[in-house]
Amino acid sequence: MSESKTVLIIDDDRDFVTAIESLLQCSGYQVRSAFSGREGLHLARTLRPDLILLDVMMTERTEGFFMLQEARRIPELSQTPVIVISSIYADQPIFRVSPEAGWLPANLFLPKPVDPARLLAEVRRLTEVACPEISHATAGRSES
Amino acid sequence: MKILKIPKQNLDLFVAVLPAFGEVYAPVRRGKGFAFDRPALWSDVQMSYPRTILPPKKFLLPPREATFAFNPREGYRDLLEEAAKPIVLFGVHAYDIFGLNILDRVFSQGKYVDPYYAARRRNTAIVGVAFEPDDKHFAYSMNADFVDSGFDLFLSDIGEDYLVLVGTSRGDDMVLMSGCLLREPTEADFAEYKRRSSLRRSAYRIRLELGELPEILEMEYHSKVWEEMGERCLSCGSCSAVCPTCYCFDINDELELAPGTGSRIRSWDSCLFKTHALVAGGENFRSSRASRIKFRYYHKQRGFVAEYGRPSCVGCGRCATTCPAKIDIVTVIETIRGERNESSSSVTATA
Repeated sequence: MSESKTVLIIDDDRDFVTAIESLLQCSGYQVRSAFSGREGLHLARTLRPDLILLDVMMTERTEGFFMLQEARRIPELSQTPVIVISSIYADQPIFRVSPEAGWLPANLFLPKPVDPARLLAEVRRLTEVACPEISHATAGRSES
Repeated sequence: MKILKIPKQNLDLFVAVLPAFGEVYAPVRRGKGFAFDRPALWSDVQMSYPRTILPPKKFLLPPREATFAFNPREGYRDLLEEAAKPIVLFGVHAYDIFGLNILDRVFSQGKYVDPYYAARRRNTAIVGVAFEPDDKHFAYSMNADFVDSGFDLFLSDIGEDYLVLVGTSRGDDMVLMSGCLLREPTEADFAEYKRRSSLRRSAYRIRLELGELPEILEMEYHSKVWEEMGERCLSCGSCSAVCPTCYCFDINDELELAPGTGSRIRSWDSCLFKTHALVAGGENFRSSRASRIKFRYYHKQRGFVAEYGRPSCVGCGRCATTCPAKIDIVTVIETIRGERNESSSSVTATA
């Protein structure tokens, strides 16, 4: 049933967006993209995607975190599955707060560079579950 | 009290993890002023601002709130749980924290505890930040330029870093949550903190003498200053709305079409409003504007002192900056004290 699912990619790295768009489109997903948190939030509200792939460090290095917090306050986006894909832990070594500490309302955190097969498997998993659980206490698994 | 420091360049990362403690509100630009609101980006957060339009009391004593709902089938349904949503107020100035501490004495530390206020206060984490006084601040004169309680963390600019005072165990949890973002300060950091604190104190352009003010107010009860102010005051209530410690409220039942169904609403009131002292039968104990504005000054500077041992004013300067008639509390007090000539222009701001 993945053919009808819509994935929204929010990332300012256009090469990364193009690559992930191709990957997902070849797997039967409808894909839309935005290149900033603000644009992504606007698109998410109108599009109501089945899944959001969200970068963190865009114009500002915490932009994705702020965008995600705002999205969770919007009733129609409060339960939308979100995979955060970021290199923040590699780029900002001082920032060692694990996503599992309960502050990141995402379903999963994946570090960049992301393994395409792993990403595709997680996209399938999160779009096939009717209402995947978002846990603030354990905000998905992280990989170091 | 534990003292740490955080590099300014890492403050965005620190704020990014604060949602673990509740929805984050911070000072952001609102038109020509500033307001506590949700920042969409870190760059929206204003670490240096003179004052917000409304004080943080708007979160603990909202301008309008439903306290309970009722209908014949279920009876009363308390809405207390909805009041208890955790929030984080980031970037609160010392005088506003002082204002909340004053509200605490009225609503949660007295004989009668207001459960709505108390629940919100309990669930509100506060991260304070030191400020630079402008030409309307007189918090130093009101002993409200520094707080040693009422916050979870308090940040003071020491150059490349903020010195961080940890005020509560929740503040300590914030520090633990943020991992390695905070560090131990050095002796040089403490020296810089003391140097900047001293500079901040000396930066106050208003020095207001409060000694014997309750007694002087007693002597000046029939002063013509009150009549002059009554001529100028528009009774708009703006000074009450922006005051961090004004807490008068009104209660109304809002009924729906179904019989016996509705909710009890609490909303801000102001002693400047003509209806404030209007009672059943049509008697109004403060029908003139002069009597109402006099009441406001006597309550804040005299009545509150008798009840709680200090004035309820914190010297934020909001009333002076907001008043459309340019009535300035500092000028009023100086006039009452005989430090200015009593004239029709004496109670208005000179700026």
